[in-house]
Amino acid sequence: MLLVTLLCYVGFAALSLSMPRHYADLAGGTLSTARGRSLKVLGGCALLVSLIVALGLQSTGFALVHWFAALMGSAVSLVFLMSYWPRQALWLAGIVAFVSPIVAFIQLLA
Amino acid sequence: MSVRWRMSVASRVVAALIGGYLLTALASICLARFLPLVRAEAVVLAMTVSFLVYLPAVLWCFACRSAWRAWFGLLLPSAALAALYAVSRWLL
Amino acid sequence: MKEGFRQAMAWLHTWAGLTFGWLLFAIFLTGTLSYFKEEITQWTQPEIVPHQVSAAASVDRAQQWLQQNAGDARRWFINLPDERTPELAVSWTNAKGRFERKSLDSLSGVPVQARESSGGEFFYRFHFQLQMPYPWGRWLASLAAMVMFVALVSGIITHKKIFKEFFTFRPRKGQRTWLDGHNAVAVLVLPFHLMITYSSLVIFMTMIMPLSILTTYGKDTQTFFDDLFPAFKSAPAAGTHATLAPLSPMLEVAREKWPNERVGLVTVNNPGDAGASVTLTASGADHIAHQPGTALTFDGVTGELKNETRMSAASLLLAGGLYGLHMGHFAGPFLRWLYFLCGVGGTAMIGTGLVIWLGKRRLKHARSDVIPFELRLVEMLNIASMSGLMLAIVSFFWANRLLPVGLAGRSDWEVKTFFCVWGLALLHALARVFLRDGRTAWREQLTLAALLFCSLPVLDAVTAGSYLRLSLEQGRWVLPGVDLTALATGLFMAWGALRFRGDGKAALAVRPTTPSTGEPLSPDAPGDRVIATRTPIVQEPR
Repeated sequence: MLLVTLLCYVGFAALSLSMPRHYADLAGGTLSTARGRSLKVLGGCALLVSLIVALGLQSTGFALVHWFAALMGSAVSLVFLMSYWPRQALWLAGIVAFVSPIVAFIQLLA
Repeated sequence: MSVRWRMSVASRVVAALIGGYLLTALASICLARFLPLVRAEAVVLAMTVSFLVYLPAVLWCFACRSAWRAWFGLLLPSAALAALYAVSRWLL
Repeated sequence: MKEGFRQAMAWLHTWAGLTFGWLLFAIFLTGTLSYFKEEITQWTQPEIVPHQVSAAASVDRAQQWLQQNAGDARRWFINLPDERTPELAVSWTNAKGRFERKSLDSLSGVPVQARESSGGEFFYRFHFQLQMPYPWGRWLASLAAMVMFVALVSGIITHKKIFKEFFTFRPRKGQRTWLDGHNAVAVLVLPFHLMITYSSLVIFMTMIMPLSILTTYGKDTQTFFDDLFPAFKSAPAAGTHATLAPLSPMLEVAREKWPNERVGLVTVNNPGDAGASVTLTASGADHIAHQPGTALTFDGVTGELKNETRMSAASLLLAGGLYGLHMGHFAGPFLRWLYFLCGVGGTAMIGTGLVIWLGKRRLKHARSDVIPFELRLVEMLNIASMSGLMLAIVSFFWANRLLPVGLAGRSDWEVKTFFCVWGLALLHALARVFLRDGRTAWREQLTLAALLFCSLPVLDAVTAGSYLRLSLEQGRWVLPGVDLTALATGLFMAWGALRFRGDGKAALAVRPTTPSTGEPLSPDAPGDRVIATRTPIVQEPR
């Protein structure tokens, strides 16, 4: 479940970065259309992967409940962080993106 | 805030409340009859989804151009559903 | 026409939200508390210490007690304890048909000796019955649920920039911040809000949308329920006496048949009769969908398994699933806290909406000191329904600790305290709003709430300290958990009270406003058109 939440956070962070206003707040500078599009795709993929991971871990009913919980929890956390500590929110997204494959690997082994 | 406007709004509210309920109930009755399921299951499913009918009915009452249209837009389909049910129950 | 549609939906959202907002705030807040109703009940009856007793032992004690005290009943119900509910609840319909219940200690098998209190059950029942006589409270709550559904969807339709502003929250910008906040708690937690609202309608659907039952089954509605739950069909008594078989071996059979589930409810039909039968249903804690149709039925005299039903129909699992999602019985501690936080979000969504409604209109009157009667009325109701309700809730807990343990009818007195304080808060708001200003009312009520919530742990330590200590020694965190949550709530109330410092005129003077809408200018203003408030939703006929 941790992995699912981490992936949701990364996904939402990417989606927010794909918007010019938030890109400017979080990363500074202007957002090119190409980068914006690739961030949207990245974000969408991360969310999709989080759903697949959730479905793989538990029965469908529980998986969906946990996935929606992860979605809502990560979205609220991200917006809260972005509003008050934008740089830190971006850093966290980077760290989480780095850590997720490691967590995935550990869970596969377990 | 003219009296006419207030009456119009009141009419739409009553239409949403009563007309909406009527349409929803008739929709659930027809669903319960026509769904290809065991009776108890058909009734349960009909009731469960019925509120998805009530919602657009209410939105319609406030989105349409006049209070008359609000009533008409609910009573006409209601009559059609009632006729459909009556035919299937007592004529076929 | 497109613009007209959105405007109409904005109008509908605004007025549906206002007229039912106060009631919905109360329903959401008490409903949110209900996710921890068992924990609240444990706090209000600290004398009851949970024991680690096996299900078999519990059911044996229940059977013994019921044999001696309700031997002539037509039906027994035994609710087995679990990690959140220490009580072994037995209830029965006696020979005259009246329903009675008792709480047994699972270790000793005798009725518990604890102060009489409704505990968390009060908030739970209030949120769907509204303390009104049956069935009127449920009807009103159901109407509120439908209005909530309409408000949610009309809100979604109205929110033009729902994707663009998905991540937007701009603090320290006055009215804009309130709107951003309202949108944030609404959109980011939307799956929960839609689920909780729709499922609440489904829960009461046999009451509020029964016509399909009547047209399909005629007057014979009992057949409908028997079709759904064949295991609960009440068989008539044979008339001859026969001893009831022991119940605990039946739990063993259940353990084999249901390896992943615990038994939650044991129903005994016609105990002591030759035609007795026993039905076991699983606890809601182990699966999402509410499945009263999944049951094991045993012969009451021989103890043999007679029938095994499993509710598998998709339509029944859909309805049961929505029911289960609303109740959240299956939620473990982490998920339960998330449910609670989502509920707080929903409550905040409604509260911010009410504040915005008033704030927008008051800006128009910022220049003159005269605020129209209707706006004062709304302000009074906002204060009473929000900070007033918080005061009522905390006073329920204070009453629980301060009322004498042996007082007759003390659970009624706790409830009376709740409503009296709520009423007093309304009167206080009335006096302040109409004689001075609303800010004072907010400040005073929030300050009092902060004091009462923050000192609840102190009250607990002083009046029930021994139970608190015992609980901590045994590593049980329910009692301190409630105290800590109260403390956190108190700090939040204090933060709120601080926001109402001063007379508020300074904040209004600094901000330049756009002349047409009265909304504060902000750098994000271009393209943000605030929907004017009193737009007629219909072109008046020429």
